[in-house]
Amino acid sequence: MNPTEIKKLIIASAAEEADPHETPGKLEDEGVSFDFSSDFTDKVISRIFTEKLTVIRDIDFGRSLSTVFYRIALTGVAAIVILLLSIFLSEGSISFNSFLGMGNTYDESVLYLLTGI
Amino acid sequence: MKESYRQADENELVQTSLKGDKLAFEEIVSRYRKLVARTVKGMLGDSVFAEDIGQEVFIKLYYSLPEFRGEAKLSTYIQKIAVNLTLNEIKRRKRFFSMFSQKGNNEMYEYEIADHEAAEKREATELVNKALMGLDPKFRVIVVMRMLQGYSTKETADILKLPLGTVLSRLSRAQEQLKEILQTI
Repeated sequence: MNPTEIKKLIIASAAEEADPHETPGKLEDEGVSFDFSSDFTDKVISRIFTEKLTVIRDIDFGRSLSTVFYRIALTGVAAIVILLLSIFLSEGSISFNSFLGMGNTYDESVLYLLTGI
Repeated sequence: MKESYRQADENELVQTSLKGDKLAFEEIVSRYRKLVARTVKGMLGDSVFAEDIGQEVFIKLYYSLPEFRGEAKLSTYIQKIAVNLTLNEIKRRKRFFSMFSQKGNNEMYEYEIADHEAAEKREATELVNKALMGLDPKFRVIVVMRMLQGYSTKETADILKLPLGTVLSRLSRAQEQLKEILQTI
Protein backbone atom coordinates (compact mmCIF):
# COMPACT_ATOMS: atom_id res chain seq x y z
CA MET A 1 0.00 0.00 0.00
CA ASN A 2 1.46 3.35 -0.98
CA PRO A 3 1.31 6.48 1.23
CA THR A 4 -1.70 7.84 -0.68
CA GLU A 5 -3.69 4.71 0.09
CA ILE A 6 -2.65 4.81 3.73
CA LYS A 7 -3.82 8.43 3.85
CA LYS A 8 -7.17 7.35 2.42
CA LEU A 9 -7.39 4.60 5.01
CA ILE A 10 -6.67 7.06 7.83
CA ILE A 11 -9.37 9.43 6.60
CA ALA A 12 -11.84 6.61 6.04
CA SER A 13 -11.24 5.27 9.57
CA ALA A 14 -12.70 8.48 10.97
CA ALA A 15 -15.92 8.08 8.98
CA GLU A 16 -18.99 7.25 11.06
CA GLU A 17 -20.00 4.37 8.78
CA ALA A 18 -16.51 2.77 8.74
CA ASP A 19 -16.07 -0.60 10.44
CA PRO A 20 -13.70 0.21 13.31
CA HIS A 21 -12.64 -3.41 13.73
CA GLU A 22 -11.08 -3.54 10.24
CA THR A 23 -8.75 -0.52 10.32
CA PRO A 24 -6.26 -1.65 13.04
CA GLY A 25 -5.64 -4.91 11.16
CA LYS A 26 -5.16 -3.15 7.83
CA LEU A 27 -2.75 -0.66 9.35
CA GLU A 28 -0.83 -3.43 11.07
CA ASP A 29 -0.50 -5.21 7.73
CA GLU A 30 1.18 -2.06 6.43
CA GLY A 31 3.68 -2.09 9.27
CA VAL A 32 1.98 0.44 11.48
CA SER A 33 2.79 -0.84 14.92
CA PHE A 34 3.10 0.71 18.32
CA ASP A 35 5.01 -0.95 21.12
CA PHE A 36 7.31 -0.02 23.98
CA SER A 37 10.98 -0.89 24.31
CA SER A 38 11.97 -4.54 24.78
CA ASP A 39 12.73 -4.11 28.51
CA PHE A 40 9.41 -2.36 29.19
CA THR A 41 7.87 -5.27 31.15
CA ASP A 42 10.97 -5.65 33.34
CA LYS A 43 10.99 -1.91 34.07
CA VAL A 44 7.33 -1.95 35.12
CA ILE A 45 7.78 -5.00 37.35
CA SER A 46 10.90 -3.64 39.02
CA ARG A 47 9.23 -0.25 39.59
CA ILE A 48 6.19 -1.85 41.20
CA PHE A 49 8.03 -4.25 43.44
CA THR A 50 10.83 -1.82 44.42
CA GLU A 51 8.30 0.89 45.26
CA LYS A 52 6.34 -1.68 47.23
CA LEU A 53 9.47 -2.47 49.30
CA THR A 54 10.03 1.25 49.94
CA VAL A 55 6.44 1.61 51.15
CA ILE A 56 6.87 -1.39 53.46
CA ARG A 57 10.10 0.13 54.84
CA ASP A 58 8.29 3.46 55.41
CA ILE A 59 5.47 1.69 57.24
CA ASP A 60 8.00 -0.20 59.41
CA PHE A 61 9.76 3.04 60.30
CA GLY A 62 6.45 4.68 61.18
CA ARG A 63 5.47 1.74 63.35
CA SER A 64 8.76 1.72 65.33
CA LEU A 65 8.51 5.48 65.76
CA SER A 66 5.01 5.24 67.24
CA THR A 67 6.17 2.38 69.51
CA VAL A 68 8.99 4.57 70.82
CA PHE A 69 6.57 7.47 71.47
CA TYR A 70 4.14 5.09 73.16
CA ARG A 71 6.87 3.79 75.47
CA ILE A 72 8.10 7.31 76.31
CA ALA A 73 4.53 8.40 77.07
CA LEU A 74 3.95 5.36 79.30
CA THR A 75 7.19 5.98 81.19
CA GLY A 76 6.17 9.64 81.67
CA VAL A 77 2.74 8.70 83.04
CA ALA A 78 4.32 6.15 85.38
CA ALA A 79 6.79 8.79 86.65
CA ILE A 80 3.97 11.28 87.34
CA VAL A 81 1.97 8.63 89.26
CA ILE A 82 5.01 7.72 91.39
CA LEU A 83 5.70 11.41 92.08
CA LEU A 84 2.09 12.05 93.17
CA LEU A 85 2.12 8.93 95.33
CA SER A 86 5.36 9.91 97.05
CA ILE A 87 4.00 13.44 97.67
CA PHE A 88 0.85 11.96 99.18
CA LEU A 89 2.85 9.63 101.42
CA SER A 90 5.27 12.28 102.64
CA GLU A 91 2.91 15.28 102.89
CA GLY A 92 -0.37 13.49 103.68
CA SER A 93 -2.32 15.23 100.88
CA ILE A 94 -2.00 16.14 97.24
CA SER A 95 -2.70 19.88 97.48
CA PHE A 96 -0.81 22.55 95.55
CA ASN A 97 1.20 23.40 98.68
CA SER A 98 2.20 19.82 99.28
CA PHE A 99 3.20 19.61 95.63
CA LEU A 100 5.51 22.60 96.27
CA GLY A 101 6.82 20.93 99.47
CA MET A 102 4.95 23.30 101.86
CA GLY A 103 2.11 21.01 102.94
CA ASN A 104 2.94 20.53 106.67
CA THR A 105 4.96 23.74 107.17
CA TYR A 106 3.68 26.36 109.68
CA ASP A 107 3.92 30.01 108.69
CA GLU A 108 5.94 30.77 111.84
CA SER A 109 8.60 28.27 111.02
CA VAL A 110 8.82 29.74 107.55
CA LEU A 111 9.25 33.20 109.08
CA TYR A 112 11.86 31.78 111.45
CA LEU A 113 13.71 30.21 108.61
CA LEU A 114 13.59 33.41 106.56
CA THR A 115 14.28 36.00 109.25
CA GLY A 116 16.02 34.05 112.00
CA ILE A 117 13.79 35.74 114.69
CA MET B 1 5.97 -22.03 35.37
CA LYS B 2 5.60 -19.02 33.05
CA GLU B 3 3.83 -21.26 30.54
CA SER B 4 0.93 -21.86 32.93
CA TYR B 5 0.43 -18.11 33.28
CA ARG B 6 0.36 -17.75 29.49
CA GLN B 7 -2.62 -20.07 29.34
CA ALA B 8 -4.45 -18.49 32.29
CA ASP B 9 -7.49 -16.30 31.62
CA GLU B 10 -7.51 -12.67 32.71
CA ASN B 11 -9.61 -13.26 35.85
CA GLU B 12 -7.18 -15.91 37.09
CA LEU B 13 -4.28 -13.55 36.41
CA VAL B 14 -6.01 -10.73 38.29
CA GLN B 15 -6.76 -12.95 41.29
CA THR B 16 -3.19 -14.29 41.40
CA SER B 17 -1.73 -10.78 40.99
CA LEU B 18 -3.85 -9.62 43.92
CA LYS B 19 -2.04 -12.17 46.07
CA GLY B 20 1.21 -10.42 45.11
CA ASP B 21 2.29 -12.90 42.41
CA LYS B 22 4.95 -11.12 40.35
CA LEU B 23 4.78 -13.55 37.41
CA ALA B 24 1.01 -13.21 37.06
CA PHE B 25 1.26 -9.45 36.80
CA GLU B 26 4.20 -9.76 34.42
CA GLU B 27 1.92 -11.79 32.16
CA ILE B 28 -0.75 -9.06 32.32
CA VAL B 29 1.85 -6.46 31.31
CA SER B 30 3.08 -8.65 28.43
CA ARG B 31 -0.45 -9.24 27.19
CA TYR B 32 -1.64 -5.64 27.26
CA ARG B 33 1.51 -3.62 26.59
CA LYS B 34 0.72 -3.22 22.87
CA LEU B 35 -2.81 -2.09 23.67
CA VAL B 36 -1.43 0.57 26.00
CA ALA B 37 1.32 1.51 23.53
CA ARG B 38 -1.24 2.16 20.78
CA THR B 39 -3.17 4.57 22.99
CA VAL B 40 -0.23 6.27 24.66
CA LYS B 41 2.04 6.53 21.62
CA GLY B 42 -0.89 7.38 19.37
CA MET B 43 -1.74 10.26 21.69
CA LEU B 44 1.71 11.46 22.76
CA GLY B 45 3.87 10.47 19.82
CA ASP B 46 6.84 8.14 19.89
CA SER B 47 8.78 9.76 22.72
CA VAL B 48 10.37 8.81 26.05
CA PHE B 49 7.41 10.43 27.78
CA ALA B 50 5.14 7.87 26.17
CA GLU B 51 7.25 5.06 27.63
CA ASP B 52 7.00 6.66 31.09
CA ILE B 53 3.24 7.08 30.84
CA GLY B 54 3.00 3.47 29.68
CA GLN B 55 4.77 2.38 32.85
CA GLU B 56 2.51 4.61 34.95
CA VAL B 57 -0.53 2.93 33.41
CA PHE B 58 0.55 -0.51 34.61
CA ILE B 59 1.65 0.78 38.02
CA LYS B 60 -1.74 2.41 38.46
CA LEU B 61 -3.40 -0.79 37.27
CA TYR B 62 -1.47 -2.84 39.84
CA TYR B 63 -2.57 -0.64 42.74
CA SER B 64 -6.17 -0.41 41.51
CA LEU B 65 -6.60 -4.15 40.91
CA PRO B 66 -8.52 -4.58 44.21
CA GLU B 67 -11.15 -2.20 42.76
CA PHE B 68 -11.48 -4.20 39.53
CA ARG B 69 -14.73 -6.12 39.89
CA GLY B 70 -14.52 -7.98 36.61
CA GLU B 71 -17.78 -6.51 35.26
CA ALA B 72 -15.96 -5.11 32.22
CA LYS B 73 -13.10 -6.66 30.29
CA LEU B 74 -9.65 -6.09 31.77
CA SER B 75 -8.58 -4.55 28.45
CA THR B 76 -11.34 -1.92 28.74
CA TYR B 77 -10.31 -1.18 32.33
CA ILE B 78 -6.67 -0.76 31.25
CA GLN B 79 -7.76 1.35 28.31
CA LYS B 80 -9.61 3.75 30.61
CA ILE B 81 -6.53 4.15 32.81
CA ALA B 82 -4.34 4.72 29.72
CA VAL B 83 -6.69 7.35 28.28
CA ASN B 84 -6.98 9.21 31.59
CA LEU B 85 -3.24 9.28 32.23
CA THR B 86 -2.49 10.32 28.65
CA LEU B 87 -5.06 13.13 28.67
CA ASN B 88 -3.69 14.33 32.02
CA GLU B 89 -0.18 14.35 30.54
CA ILE B 90 -1.39 16.38 27.54
CA LYS B 91 -3.05 18.89 29.91
CA ARG B 92 0.12 19.06 32.01
CA ARG B 93 2.26 19.70 28.94
CA LYS B 94 -0.18 22.28 27.64
CA ARG B 95 0.11 24.18 30.95
CA PHE B 96 3.90 23.85 30.88
CA PHE B 97 4.26 25.09 27.32
CA SER B 98 1.77 27.90 27.74
CA MET B 99 3.76 29.01 30.79
CA PHE B 100 7.06 29.18 28.93
CA SER B 101 6.02 29.86 25.37
CA GLN B 102 3.47 31.93 23.50
CA LYS B 103 3.34 29.23 20.85
CA GLY B 104 1.61 26.81 23.22
CA ASN B 105 0.55 23.60 21.56
CA ASN B 106 2.37 24.09 18.27
CA GLU B 107 5.73 23.85 19.95
CA MET B 108 4.70 20.61 21.62
CA TYR B 109 3.78 19.05 18.30
CA GLU B 110 6.99 20.23 16.65
CA TYR B 111 8.95 18.61 19.43
CA GLU B 112 7.04 15.35 19.20
CA ILE B 113 7.36 15.15 15.43
CA ALA B 114 11.11 15.87 15.61
CA ASP B 115 11.47 13.17 18.25
CA HIS B 116 9.39 10.85 16.17
CA GLU B 117 11.52 11.46 13.04
CA ALA B 118 14.66 10.76 14.97
CA ALA B 119 13.31 7.36 15.84
CA GLU B 120 13.38 6.40 12.13
CA LYS B 121 10.22 4.39 12.23
CA ARG B 122 8.70 2.93 9.18
CA GLU B 123 7.04 5.27 6.73
CA ALA B 124 3.50 4.11 7.42
CA THR B 125 3.84 4.47 11.20
CA GLU B 126 5.39 7.87 10.66
CA LEU B 127 2.50 8.95 8.48
CA VAL B 128 -0.08 7.81 11.03
CA ASN B 129 1.80 9.51 13.85
CA LYS B 130 2.14 12.79 11.98
CA ALA B 131 -1.54 12.77 11.13
CA LEU B 132 -2.47 12.10 14.76
CA MET B 133 -0.10 14.69 16.20
CA GLY B 134 -1.62 17.37 14.02
CA LEU B 135 -5.06 16.75 15.49
CA ASP B 136 -6.51 18.57 18.44
CA PRO B 137 -6.14 16.21 21.48
CA LYS B 138 -9.91 15.92 21.98
CA PHE B 139 -10.29 14.71 18.38
CA ARG B 140 -7.08 12.68 18.49
CA VAL B 141 -8.26 10.50 21.35
CA ILE B 142 -11.38 9.52 19.41
CA VAL B 143 -9.43 8.71 16.25
CA VAL B 144 -6.93 6.64 18.29
CA MET B 145 -9.78 4.67 19.86
CA ARG B 146 -11.28 3.88 16.49
CA MET B 147 -8.36 3.70 14.11
CA LEU B 148 -5.72 2.07 16.31
CA GLN B 149 -7.81 0.22 18.89
CA GLY B 150 -10.80 -0.71 16.74
CA TYR B 151 -13.45 0.42 19.22
CA SER B 152 -16.92 1.24 17.99
CA THR B 153 -18.36 4.71 18.51
CA LYS B 154 -20.44 3.41 21.42
CA GLU B 155 -17.44 1.73 23.07
CA THR B 156 -15.40 4.92 22.56
CA ALA B 157 -18.15 6.98 24.19
CA ASP B 158 -18.23 4.55 27.11
CA ILE B 159 -14.45 4.59 27.65
CA LEU B 160 -14.19 8.37 27.37
CA LYS B 161 -17.40 8.90 29.38
CA LEU B 162 -18.77 11.16 26.65
CA PRO B 163 -22.26 11.28 25.12
CA LEU B 164 -22.53 9.35 21.86
CA GLY B 165 -23.52 12.52 20.00
CA THR B 166 -20.35 14.28 21.14
CA VAL B 167 -18.20 11.38 19.94
CA LEU B 168 -19.94 11.41 16.55
CA SER B 169 -19.57 15.16 16.08
CA ARG B 170 -15.92 15.06 17.15
CA LEU B 171 -15.30 12.16 14.80
CA SER B 172 -16.72 14.13 11.89
CA ARG B 173 -14.60 17.19 12.77
CA ALA B 174 -11.55 14.94 13.21
CA GLN B 175 -12.07 13.61 9.71
CA GLU B 176 -12.12 17.16 8.33
CA GLN B 177 -8.92 17.98 10.23
CA LEU B 178 -7.27 14.76 9.04
CA LYS B 179 -7.99 15.65 5.40
CA GLU B 180 -6.32 19.04 5.84
CA ILE B 181 -3.33 17.59 7.72
CA LEU B 182 -2.72 14.76 5.26
CA GLN B 183 -2.78 17.17 2.32
CA THR B 184 0.25 18.93 3.76
CA ILE B 185 2.24 15.78 4.52
